[in-house]
Amino acid sequence: MFGGRDGAQKRFVAATMTPAIVYVAIFSLLPIVWAVALAFFDFSPRRTGTPFLGLGADNPFVGLQHFKNMFDFSADAPLEVQQFHIAVKTTLIFAFLVVPLNLAITLPLASMIESVGRRSRVLFRTVFFLPVLASSVGVAIIWGYVLHPQRGLLNALLTKLTEDVTIVSWVADPSMVVVGIPVALLAILTAYLWQDIGYNLVIFIAALQAIPDSVKDAALVDGASAWQRFRYVTLPLLKPAILLTSVLTMISAFQVFDLFQVMTRGGPDDQTRVLTLDIYENAFRYQRMGWAAAVSLVLFLIVFLISRVQARMLRVEWEY
Amino acid sequence: MAVAVHRASSAHRAGKVALYAVLIVAGMLAALPFVWMITASFKTAEEIREFPPTFLPAEPTLDNFGTILGDPELPLITFYRNSAFVAVLNVASTLFTSSLLGYVLAKFSFRWRGAMFWFVIATMMIPTQVTMIPGYLILVQLGLLNNLWGLVLPSFFNAFGVFVMRQFMLSIPEDEIWSARVDGASEWRIYRSVVLPQLKPALATLGLLTFMFNWNSYLWPLIVLTEQDKRTLPIILYWYSNEHASQIQLVMAASILMVIPVLIVFAASQKWIVKGLTLTGAK
Repeated sequence: MFGGRDGAQKRFVAATMTPAIVYVAIFSLLPIVWAVALAFFDFSPRRTGTPFLGLGADNPFVGLQHFKNMFDFSADAPLEVQQFHIAVKTTLIFAFLVVPLNLAITLPLASMIESVGRRSRVLFRTVFFLPVLASSVGVAIIWGYVLHPQRGLLNALLTKLTEDVTIVSWVADPSMVVVGIPVALLAILTAYLWQDIGYNLVIFIAALQAIPDSVKDAALVDGASAWQRFRYVTLPLLKPAILLTSVLTMISAFQVFDLFQVMTRGGPDDQTRVLTLDIYENAFRYQRMGWAAAVSLVLFLIVFLISRVQARMLRVEWEY
Repeated sequence: MAVAVHRASSAHRAGKVALYAVLIVAGMLAALPFVWMITASFKTAEEIREFPPTFLPAEPTLDNFGTILGDPELPLITFYRNSAFVAVLNVASTLFTSSLLGYVLAKFSFRWRGAMFWFVIATMMIPTQVTMIPGYLILVQLGLLNNLWGLVLPSFFNAFGVFVMRQFMLSIPEDEIWSARVDGASEWRIYRSVVLPQLKPALATLGLLTFMFNWNSYLWPLIVLTEQDKRTLPIILYWYSNEHASQIQLVMAASILMVIPVLIVFAASQKWIVKGLTLTGAK
């Protein structure tokens, strides 16, 4: 009797897990293994290879050549290698700017929104959260219009403020660079922050609401100023949430694609070429899929290492 | 004493006013790009070319919306249908596979269970950029390029969904499952009548997040769909904005028609979305 029940459970597990395993093998495991394999071949879908995944024959095995090329910093390195170097640099600048700027906006904003009445809180949260829900292509198009040289809002406001006709080409002028950072990259960064802050804002508001009132009241009774309460009471209690969101924010900053593809396509002069765009263009525009796969593994490695470092920081924090 | 209290409360009031002032200014700044888009869609072609540009339309017109709705090159209904087809099928399949596998991984013990769960988590960490190239080659082999099923089949199983459902299932007591077994219910029946009803709140949140993600998805549809009438809304919007780059009033009206209706639905259900994001750390 009990054995029969046990058999039914075994059959149920087999009936659900078998298709799942087959599916995962085809659509999750195979792509990962295939991507690693591609990185060692000079593969283009336009050429014919052997029947085995199209690898070999006209798509020859090149071993570690792609990875060796990545370290070719000479002036006559192939164009795709030079573009890869630009892409790594640009992606790192972008991601390392996004995190502190995002936190510098969302932390104070969240504590302000948390401290107002319930109705206003929902209203303000909605205003800042709306861009998170919107399609990023829509966001890119709206910002393209805000930054438009002749018809854009930003130049219109600057013209009004300076009482001088201001026509700045925010995303198309390669000569505009501020402390080594292209203005076009900063423009996309602004659009991305606008789109993304609502997400961390919501997380921080939830974390702030979880702090018991008694803790805040105690600081208030002790005569702490608003800044002291934020610095010595709220901030330490938010630390786990801050670490978690900075991990997630950084990981997603490394993978932003839509805004770059729609707003600049990597221009001007490759100044906004990030790794995601570099991989896409190599794979689907120039059909250099072997090289693109190798670059994608580099992106994975960067994201993986950063999440390991930050996970370690989180663990230390918990032990403490 | 009374004076001190009065002073404290007026300082408090001044603080409150400053707080609201800062929030209102910040909120207006955040809303400004949306407002800029909306006002532009009501401007005439002449007004949009003025320099410096006007903020509010001098003679508001609905012509831009008429032009877009009457444009034979832009059959909006087709594109809405394409987007809805992909989003609805992906929500249905994700809810089904995530709840079923989450249940099995949480409540049954079998060989390789730990390895399976570990693998599910590992696949969540792999960037799209790594799997999209082989993913594309697989679709070519399956003959699903330029086919909306090419956006559905690869996401039939969603690692994030399985993870969320498995975590949620762990907190659900097993008494009811066992008493249903004693009553002689089949395992599928238990899944359907005992497990699924308890997962309802989690399913609602996961469904909304999946819908939103698919509705706004850009990169994968861009790779898979190259024929115009097969495309989903974000790709069409990008195409239209390039095609009519000199007529911003039309591009903005098109953006409104393609982005705003669903945005309102998302905003109305943001309570659930926020709950999902804060509980799971999904991004």
